[in-house]
Amino acid sequence: MVRLVEIDISEELLRRASAGDEAARVVIYTATAPATFALVRRLIANRAIAEDLFQETMMALFERLPQFRREAPLGAWLRQIAVSRCLMYLRSPWHRARLHLESDGEVDIPHGLSALVTSPPAVESFDVERALASLSPTTRAVVWLYEVEGYSHQEIAQLFGRSLSFSKSQLARAHVRLREWFEPSEGRHTCTSIQSNSKVL
Amino acid sequence: MYIDPEQQQGPLERHDVEQQNIIRRLRSLPQEIPQPYDWAEFQRRARERANADTLRGRSARWHAALAAALILVVVGIAVWARVTRPVIPLESHVPGNSKLPVTGSLPAVGAANEKRANDAERWLASLPSEPVVVRVGTRAAVTGLEDRIAQLDDFLSVARVEGAQPARVAELEQQRVRLVNSLVQVRYAETLVSASR
Repeated sequence: MVRLVEIDISEELLRRASAGDEAARVVIYTATAPATFALVRRLIANRAIAEDLFQETMMALFERLPQFRREAPLGAWLRQIAVSRCLMYLRSPWHRARLHLESDGEVDIPHGLSALVTSPPAVESFDVERALASLSPTTRAVVWLYEVEGYSHQEIAQLFGRSLSFSKSQLARAHVRLREWFEPSEGRHTCTSIQSNSKVL
Repeated sequence: MYIDPEQQQGPLERHDVEQQNIIRRLRSLPQEIPQPYDWAEFQRRARERANADTLRGRSARWHAALAAALILVVVGIAVWARVTRPVIPLESHVPGNSKLPVTGSLPAVGAANEKRANDAERWLASLPSEPVVVRVGTRAAVTGLEDRIAQLDDFLSVARVEGAQPARVAELEQQRVRLVNSLVQVRYAETLVSASR
């Protein structure tokens, strides 16, 4: 499995694609689309919106291809486009309004409440995807960019247009939440049952 | 006796191990997910978006054109109304003008009018251009009267240049005095309101 940043395309293919050769474009699309979509899906939990952003990213790729200067692999350049599109969406007022209206798993569940409102999977089959989905969109984006994509706090802060401490605090928050998910099930079940009992009482 | 290595770790080490586990799990997630659609569908969606953008652009241009046309119509009506505004007989709307001399010999009327107008205008000139408290209704009346006076001044100039009949000039002067009187009354009321605050 190839990471998006590692995907590189030959000079010849890029030249043809820039000139509008459809066959070359199909090859580039086929090579980059799965990794691009995976990245977008990690950052945006809602599938329909992720598809929209994926479409926008790929369209931007082909539109801007003549400007690509090959200073890095094409995948790294594409990743920049995808990340910036996703963060632009996360920062948009439309998204914020949607968060208030919907509760489709993107809503930030208050700390400590997740054990009550969700049924975490067994220890043996931790569903990392679900754990990620339990985070708020911003927290999820920060933890993914930092821990997996290798962005620095400085870069993340710049991308979000926020301070360095914003990135650090979001990351710390993500780790706390994820640790809750991944901690041994007995402790959590006990905790949940106690909380449930107290709720009944 | 078996000793669990994790039991031997301190809280800090355990915290680090848990954190490393989380990072490992995150990184173990697939780096690729089958794309939601193939090239043909991608192209179809791209075309759809391009069409939507074109339509949106056209619609925006149409709205802008409509707004511009509306503005033109409104401005046209305003200009037309100003140009073709009929001269309303002053007696119908100038209050308290019964004391004004409307009869008598023309030169006498002209002299009286001139003196009255000069006095009133001297007093008006001594007032500030706008009172401290501006009321919309009053301001509109003042502006209207000032416009009418300016219009009459134009008529008077034209009448004098073209050598119109003295009766016509006197009539215009009389109208002007009435308007100046009305303006004086309104401005006086304004100054009273300002002074009472």
